[in-house]
Amino acid sequence: MKELLLLVGITLAAQGELILYECAMIHTADQPSIRNGQMLVRDGRIIKVGTEINPPSGTVKRDLGKLHLYPGLIAPATSLGLTEINAVRATQDTTEVGDFTPDVEAWISVNPDSELIPVARANGFTHVLVAPMGGVVNGTSGLIRTAGWGVEDMTVKPRAALHIWWPTLSINTRPKESLRDPEKYKSPKEQSRKREEKLREIDRFFDEAEAYAKARKADKNLRIVPAWEAMLPAINEKQPIMIHANYERQITSAIKWANKRGYKIIIASGLDAWRVADQLAKSKVPVVLDNVFRLPQRDTDAHDVNFKAAGVLNKAGVKISHSVRMGSWGATEIRNIVYAAARSMAYGLPREAALRSITLNPAQTLEVDGMLGSLTPGKEATFIAVDGDIFDIRTNVKHMWIEGKEVALKSRHTRLYDKYRKRPKPAAVKGAE
Amino acid sequence: MRLKILCVTAFLLSGFNLTEAAIRPPGTRPKAPGMHALTGGRVCIKPGLILEGATILIRDGRIENVLPQDQSSVPEGYRVWNMKGKTVYAGFIDPYYSSGKKAKPVSNRWVTPIDARAGVNFTGLPTTKEDMGKKGPGYEIAEIQPHYRVSETFTANPAGFEKLRELGFTAANFIPTEGIIRGSAVLSLLGEGDPNDLILTPKTTQHFAYEPGKEYPKSLMGVIAVIRQTAFDTQHYIHMQNWAVKNPNGIRPEYNPALQSMIKVIAGQGQKQLAIVEPGSVLMISRTAKLAGELGIDPVIVATGHEWRRHDILEKVNFPFIVPVNFPAIPELPDEEDWKEVSLDELRTWDWAPEVPALIAKGNRDMALTLHGLSDHKDFRENISRAIDRGLREETALAGLTTIPAKLTKSSSFLGTIEKGRVANLTVVDGASWFDPDNPVSSVWIEGRNYQVNTPKPVKKEKGKPEAPKGKHKPRVAKEPGDYRGAIGKPKNIIIRNATIWTCGPSGVITNSSMRVTNGRISAIGDVIGPVTEPDTVLIDGAGKHITPGLIDCHNHSMILGGVNEGTLPSSAMVRISDVVNSETENIYRQLAGGLTVANLLHGSANPIGGQNAVIKLRHGELPDDLVFKEAPLGIKFALGENVKQSNWGDEKKNRFPQTRMGVKTFFINRFTAARQYLEQLKPGDESLPPVRRNLELEALGQILTGDRLVHCHSYRQDEMLVFLRTMERFGVQVGTLQHVLEGYKIADEIAAHGAGASSFSDWWAYKFEVYDAIPYNGSLLHERGAVVSFNSDSSDLARRMNLEAAKAVKYGGTTEEDALKFVTLNPAKQLKIDKWVGSLEVGKHADFVIWTGHPLSTQTLCEETWIEGRQYYSRSYDAKRSRLIALERTNLLLKAREKEGKEQVSDSARAAFFRRAMEMSHSLNNCYQCRKEKP
Repeated sequence: MKELLLLVGITLAAQGELILYECAMIHTADQPSIRNGQMLVRDGRIIKVGTEINPPSGTVKRDLGKLHLYPGLIAPATSLGLTEINAVRATQDTTEVGDFTPDVEAWISVNPDSELIPVARANGFTHVLVAPMGGVVNGTSGLIRTAGWGVEDMTVKPRAALHIWWPTLSINTRPKESLRDPEKYKSPKEQSRKREEKLREIDRFFDEAEAYAKARKADKNLRIVPAWEAMLPAINEKQPIMIHANYERQITSAIKWANKRGYKIIIASGLDAWRVADQLAKSKVPVVLDNVFRLPQRDTDAHDVNFKAAGVLNKAGVKISHSVRMGSWGATEIRNIVYAAARSMAYGLPREAALRSITLNPAQTLEVDGMLGSLTPGKEATFIAVDGDIFDIRTNVKHMWIEGKEVALKSRHTRLYDKYRKRPKPAAVKGAE
Repeated sequence: MRLKILCVTAFLLSGFNLTEAAIRPPGTRPKAPGMHALTGGRVCIKPGLILEGATILIRDGRIENVLPQDQSSVPEGYRVWNMKGKTVYAGFIDPYYSSGKKAKPVSNRWVTPIDARAGVNFTGLPTTKEDMGKKGPGYEIAEIQPHYRVSETFTANPAGFEKLRELGFTAANFIPTEGIIRGSAVLSLLGEGDPNDLILTPKTTQHFAYEPGKEYPKSLMGVIAVIRQTAFDTQHYIHMQNWAVKNPNGIRPEYNPALQSMIKVIAGQGQKQLAIVEPGSVLMISRTAKLAGELGIDPVIVATGHEWRRHDILEKVNFPFIVPVNFPAIPELPDEEDWKEVSLDELRTWDWAPEVPALIAKGNRDMALTLHGLSDHKDFRENISRAIDRGLREETALAGLTTIPAKLTKSSSFLGTIEKGRVANLTVVDGASWFDPDNPVSSVWIEGRNYQVNTPKPVKKEKGKPEAPKGKHKPRVAKEPGDYRGAIGKPKNIIIRNATIWTCGPSGVITNSSMRVTNGRISAIGDVIGPVTEPDTVLIDGAGKHITPGLIDCHNHSMILGGVNEGTLPSSAMVRISDVVNSETENIYRQLAGGLTVANLLHGSANPIGGQNAVIKLRHGELPDDLVFKEAPLGIKFALGENVKQSNWGDEKKNRFPQTRMGVKTFFINRFTAARQYLEQLKPGDESLPPVRRNLELEALGQILTGDRLVHCHSYRQDEMLVFLRTMERFGVQVGTLQHVLEGYKIADEIAAHGAGASSFSDWWAYKFEVYDAIPYNGSLLHERGAVVSFNSDSSDLARRMNLEAAKAVKYGGTTEEDALKFVTLNPAKQLKIDKWVGSLEVGKHADFVIWTGHPLSTQTLCEETWIEGRQYYSRSYDAKRSRLIALERTNLLLKAREKEGKEQVSDSARAAFFRRAMEMSHSLNNCYQCRKEKP
């Protein structure tokens, strides 16, 4: 039943074939948008983008009429493929146990036939980062395409980032008697000690990882330890470390930690990121936001505080991307990431920046912008055609191409819709009329 | 010689047994002589009456006389006590004292949305006696134990009593501490001796506390329902007894000690037992007022400390109050960053707290003070002096320690003042006033016996931490929440011109048009609107703007106090959301800011038959009862599928009926059959039959059968929905709405034919197995087939942008824009049967409308103004100002608070109390306990 990769037109099958896509507007994401634009593609690569391209003879023209072209959308922190149904435990592969499990690899467990994947694809998502949950230093994520026969051909970038779930540093101030289990009460002082310990634990773990890296370089016969091996890219090769943190003090402590140790980090979730926008900009830390559609957390917050956050960060010079919350619920909602960007746009994020926040910025943040993220000659021909403004809920994605190949936008949802739209009026109802 | 004591409780004043020999056998300590004269002191006869240098004569435990200074020569034979430099008060009485560990204020810590378990043996039948909880006869719910008496197990606690005496207390009303209707308190002296000697009145006040338990009732609305049912059961109990007298050979009425004890509480006829109620939250004070009228109880309210939130509630109720003085103090937090997480609400509560007693005492209300809720007695006097600093009159405070508690415990005839014949209870303090905490209590007298008091040593002031100078507490910085609530504008007339108007009515969308509002109603729509001459008219230029009806959310839980589920029993038809509407949550404002004007507040989906819903208007700032949409018909929440069969509740929870979809249907048939029979019973008939017990569960279900209550049924799978529709058809009931209805598209024709409304999510799916087939085309497909479709939020966040949810019906399935907007306006109004008043912009309807900056279905459009019945409740320009003021208030409060940090001489428990959260606020702040596990 799974309809996945669909090759469109036999002409495409031929290697070296040139295809010219013509449409009402090309939104390149890195250059100004082009009205009545053309895009020349060969072997899954963009050759040219412009208005008056003179293609060599033999070029196949594809007239997309009033459609708008956008780069394929990228969701830079998700549990897609690791979960099917929130309430059914057997379908969960999102969360591992143990505090320090850097050798856990999230993307390898993606179920390629998850019904959630085509649903995300249907609204323009060609790529998602699949990241692990649970623990503290809990593993690495991989960037996958949302179409393919199996994990191996879907994986675009394995080990794209190492993940840390930064410890909660807030104190639970609820008085003892109002706790469900008063025996578990810990005074602010005790909690303060605990949180410092947690931060020291992270430092200790990275100290040990660095020691291992050093020993590894010096001693060819050193016994391999998988967990420490998994830490090497972050330590030796500047693999980005995605730090999942929402609150101000978590974010500032993560920035301080990374600056001290010289690591490259990304802040994910980032509820309070806008409050420390300048610090983030100064340290050049990109942010992946997943809190636009969330109630304000403080009673002094304006009702629209989370709608405005992206605009504030962007203005301060922080590279922002939009994504969904990690876990099952978020995985079903990837299609709505576009509207988080759209809502931020209504509250001060410029249109170009909003587009980049779901295309080029996540590509740069995940260091795949050489191939993805914008409609730029030399990059992958991974793009979508929309019947209007992508930020308008009323529009629909009509076509999708990943590396030049057209991909079906059918899903469990369209299949069920098609089936039941055709249901004849039942006899019982007819009889009653 | 003995005094002849003329007092109703005279027989209780033991120790003066007339037949007992005055001389004890050798080897026992002889009784102290009983004649004393206290001379030269400042005698406070009662609040407001001080006699300087008067002499108090005590004889055998009674005040024999009080002689004014000029005739104060002490008669012969009295032991003289020099009271010069001291002040003598009538002995203090605590009206609300519990000696046990459980003396905690009411909390809702067990209240969670879906994590709940039924009473062990609940069978789903009208009553069950199996879940008695405690041994012996009683009420079917263990938390209802009005027959319990503290006196039965009362013993003196010498060390504890000594501590109370140190503060000046001589008597206390010892209260029961467990359950919802808790039993009767005992009034006792705080002296030494055995209980027989000490007890003054064995049965004083009855006690209520709105404290949810671990089983039914586990929610606040459940608590209210149980109290209501208990009162009706008591009435029935009385009727049955009367009936049995007339019908000696008929059904023998049961013996129920709980209901027997309740008779005096609800039907005492002038001799009612006072009901002391611990409401646990300020809104429940006004609920208590309503209940008192409905059930016939005489309440005394135990203050929550949060009365400052709603001054209007205090103004509306005239009951006596018992006021704890457990004020929060500034906490010590580990570091600067932690201070950032301190909320405005916590700071406000702290700043207001000492002012609350004065607020309550306003208008000459009877107000007593209590140690209740204070973990550390040392804070008591300090806090009262802070309250006096903030406006409480000393006289009122003194009355709160003497005459008022005497009145509340019906002991005014022998306690509370220094008058001839009263029990000789006295509180003696060094200096001119007890209300200066530096003046130590030097002794107390209890029934004529002198108790020396260990004066606590003054606390050593730490170096570098000077105490804040007394009497110079800074004035309040905190504002009233009401300052930022309520209508911003309420003009008589509104005229909007040049706007695009989405009427959602027969006129469709009209561009460049006008609308007129008069007295809260739409008075004209169209191109020609008369001249603007009337006074009090607001003119709005609508150029470029779009006007729509106020948005309506047909499934919302955002404004419910103390739990949205009474998920313990399979049927909780007796609980009412309207009892627990939370007018205080910031969610109201946040949703107004998204153009929402009406919300259908639904009970959760934890049981097949849930509670009664409440349709409200978001009239920000009004009291709960004034939020209710008066014209809206009654309704109730039902539920099918995984939630009600406890599929996702964990492995232990698999013993409540039903556990399958088969059982769900069986259950409905059972309850509706019972309801039908109940209605039959109620019909006037044979006088010789025993009186019918009013059953609040069946009453609600009966209203469904008679067409007076709409059913809103949480449902997902096509099969269960069809079975449900057919089951209801069997009972002649048309279902109001199928809520969620995510597989509705599979049986769209049947739903349309039945006439049930379909209230769906726009695009949620896959969170449970039963929603794996949910598709975002659901709304459009159902609409195509003729069902009345709405999109709802079921989320406090999503409810802030229902217009964008509507846009998804255009995206998925191509519903027209006009029809899509109706998914969040006219259609939910139809579903709730309130479309006569709201849902579209038509002449005569309520002027509930939204002004948008652009097309209402565009993500780029903002809500600019929200109006309800011609009153402006949100405006973007005012919002900016409001946000600034609120932020500034917190900054100022934080400054004030940080000045006190570590300088206050208070207990650690007072510091911890800083974070005690009002029930009303539990949804508005960080770490909301209740929201964590919520599932649709």
